[in-house]
Amino acid sequence: MAYTLKINEQLVEVDAASDTPLLWVLRDHLGLTGSKYGCGSGYCGSCTVHMDGSAVRSCQLPISSLDGRAITTIESLDKQHPQLIGAWVRENVAQCGYCQAGQLMSAAALLNASAHPTDQEIDAAMTGNICRCGTYVRIRSAIHHAAAERTSTGASE
Amino acid sequence: MNAIANLSPDFSRRGFLGVSGVLVLGACLPSRGMLGQEHQASPFEPNLLLAISSDGTVRVTCHRSEMGQGIRTAIAQVVADELDADWARVEVAQAPGDVKYGDQNTDGSISILLNYERLRTAGASARLMLRQAAAKRWAVDVEDVRAVHHEVIDADGKRRLGYGELATDAALLPVPIGAPLKSEAEHRYIGKPVVHVDAEAITRGQSHFGADCSLPNMATAIIVRCPWLGGGVRAIRNKPSNAPGLVAIEILPPAPSAGPLFAPLGGVAVVAEDTWTAIKIARSLEIEWTNSPNHGFNSKALQESLREAVMKPGTPVPGSGKGDVDAVFAKGGNEVSAIYETPFLAHAPMEPPVAIADVSEKGAFVRAPLQDPQSARGLIASYLGMALEKVEVTLTLLGGAFGRKSKPDFALEAVELSKRLARPVRVQWLREDDIRHDYYHAPSVQHHRAIIDNQGMPQAWLQRTAFPSITTVFAAQAQAPAPFELEQGFSNLPYAVDHQRMESTGIRPGVRVGWLRSVCNVFHGFSANVFADEMAAAAGRDAIEHRLAMLPTGGKLNQPGMPAPAGHELDFARLREVIERVRKLSQWQRPRPEGVGLGFAVHQSFRSYVATVLEASMVNGRPHISNAYVVLDCGTYVNPDSCIAQMQGAVVFGLSLALHGSIDMEDGAVVQSNFHDYPVLRIAEAPATKVELVPAQGRLPAGVGEPGVPPVAPALVNALFAASGVRYRSLPVTA
Ligand code: FES
Ligand code: FES
Repeated sequence: MAYTLKINEQLVEVDAASDTPLLWVLRDHLGLTGSKYGCGSGYCGSCTVHMDGSAVRSCQLPISSLDGRAITTIESLDKQHPQLIGAWVRENVAQCGYCQAGQLMSAAALLNASAHPTDQEIDAAMTGNICRCGTYVRIRSAIHHAAAERTSTGASE
Repeated sequence: MNAIANLSPDFSRRGFLGVSGVLVLGACLPSRGMLGQEHQASPFEPNLLLAISSDGTVRVTCHRSEMGQGIRTAIAQVVADELDADWARVEVAQAPGDVKYGDQNTDGSISILLNYERLRTAGASARLMLRQAAAKRWAVDVEDVRAVHHEVIDADGKRRLGYGELATDAALLPVPIGAPLKSEAEHRYIGKPVVHVDAEAITRGQSHFGADCSLPNMATAIIVRCPWLGGGVRAIRNKPSNAPGLVAIEILPPAPSAGPLFAPLGGVAVVAEDTWTAIKIARSLEIEWTNSPNHGFNSKALQESLREAVMKPGTPVPGSGKGDVDAVFAKGGNEVSAIYETPFLAHAPMEPPVAIADVSEKGAFVRAPLQDPQSARGLIASYLGMALEKVEVTLTLLGGAFGRKSKPDFALEAVELSKRLARPVRVQWLREDDIRHDYYHAPSVQHHRAIIDNQGMPQAWLQRTAFPSITTVFAAQAQAPAPFELEQGFSNLPYAVDHQRMESTGIRPGVRVGWLRSVCNVFHGFSANVFADEMAAAAGRDAIEHRLAMLPTGGKLNQPGMPAPAGHELDFARLREVIERVRKLSQWQRPRPEGVGLGFAVHQSFRSYVATVLEASMVNGRPHISNAYVVLDCGTYVNPDSCIAQMQGAVVFGLSLALHGSIDMEDGAVVQSNFHDYPVLRIAEAPATKVELVPAQGRLPAGVGEPGVPPVAPALVNALFAASGVRYRSLPVTA
């Protein structure tokens, strides 16, 4: 079936079975491979994208449920959250890197909702994102730094 | 610094940046000829691992697999340092599997240890040749020219030539022997924190892992494998004859039921035009499997056998017997005795196994996240009966591995399917496949028994270990633990004791056993460190005081069984130093609030020394870890920030196995399937972590990726004892 999706500010046409999860639409049909498969069941967060600004697990969203929704993926995160990208690189957060797109998308959604999250808020917002390499302490620190930089540059106002 | 070449080809970056947002094919095409196209003809290539082109670009080729440890960065740091290159003009390419690079087996935390001198020499030789080329051009003595930061400068500092300008001349010179190496003080990049070369691309979602590559006309396969090892397909009850997007349903022959166990597991491959179609059809299949001797395998029964084994004499470690243990036990005294247990574990790298292959009569092309592309190449060539030269194995980034991707079974699956279907095929493992068909970390039981004096000092110490040996995947008859397994924290127990015996027993498992980050050090480091804590507690002594008292004050361990290589013997002074440092770092003596305990553990593995203190308490009946303190002595290190990251990651990995990890088999089949029943640590459970590195002091480099793991679980158990008085002797801790 043909669907029109809004992804990273662009309208795209995709022909796929109605139960195809957004993750596979992005990866197989659109070549947007930044979002990763980690569990396919909503447990790990590797596939996290934004739907209308909130973090969602793209492996759990069938293409048929996306009508009229705006999807943002890691590939265009720098438009809204350059500070996060900058902090992530400066602090050398990534180890293998496989989980990091999902981590960044969850972190971005958190900063959209809370300009200066505490460690507890970070832990609560990021609990759906597994990092098997164990980069958690750097994730916390990079989110704090990005939050501070966003405020100082007025980006969150 | 750019991480280009075949991990993140230029054309795909152009694709991503040129078109805003979407509708870009995230293809990463074969690397065939790519390097040749990217670089001008005949760059100055004084060494396999280093090339300088006439525009001044320095290309360092990384011949080890990158799985998050930062090896691509570290290798470039070493070469660029001795070359005195400008970091901004250094690129990192990734080597395919090829014997010409030397050892490429990225395991055992050994990449820097094996290659440090070679990489330095590569950089230093090129630097000398650039100086020679400049000296020749200026008709001066080579001693009168310096090479500094991508330029060669004459004695007055008046004439300067960039490395690029000299590359063509330098290429004509013979490679010198004995080029001078820098002193530690002269290092520009070695020993300095450097952001990983792939950090930017990873953070922007632009780097390529195994599943991110596609080839024209590629199909995707999901394979349904027999729940027990060695079973084959008897029948598919509901084989769909036709479904939109379905390419083929292929039956793959079963794996052998006993070693060598490097062949694919077999099963039913559902090949489709897209991943979701393959997943859906694979899940709908009803398959009848044939039997195998492993169908009756039960991990609980194995655990019971391991428990029984350590209650009986095992095979003594050759040369380990000291004094007369039995006589001291017969005499009696203050006896401490305990049994420790650890379960099967799955690696569960964030990226499940995945591989693409394109096989035709002309040759085989494979692209996959592999820890050893060179041995994979050999296996693929013999599997296909093809000349080695016709097989090309290239790498993507590895989305975590922890030992899992040292076996290329998933690449062989892709090879077989591509050959059958005569088109490129990607084999994608689902998380369920990964958890249920791993090469599992072996379960184990240890029995420690000692007579202690009133200071907690062991007068006699008997230790027994029992576990399924990893050698069972190599040979059908293998059973006994190998010396290299016992040398991981068992036969090299560092404590001074007059009467000592070490015994081991192996029991064959009904599944494949594999290396998992720090391997047997996980359980041997666990039991030895908890038992030491129990001896200290029995004597009412401070755990760190007691431990230092048990250790010789100097000298090297004369290790029975399998002696350490020269220069890498366990050094008691270094072991003591990490202990002293972690005592300070953790403020060990500072009283903690009621209900909060500190636990200590120390372990030498992969030639590095790690001491860890965890601060923990029980909160709502579950362990809560508030702080972790880690001191690492890995000798000379290249990138201190990577070392710190590895220790931080090791704390998380160690806590995952201490708190959550357990794989069970019933009737040969793994019970767990995904992160809901095989949980790993999440962010809220990750403690604040302080890491200290012991200064390099010109020592030999040693391992970093693995040695942080072994002390974590025992430090936790010891901390929980300090906090609550309850001693947990089995992992995972189920409070
Ligand atoms: S892949 Fe979607 S949550 Fe794991
Ligand atoms: S960086 Fe490897 S899983 Fe997070």
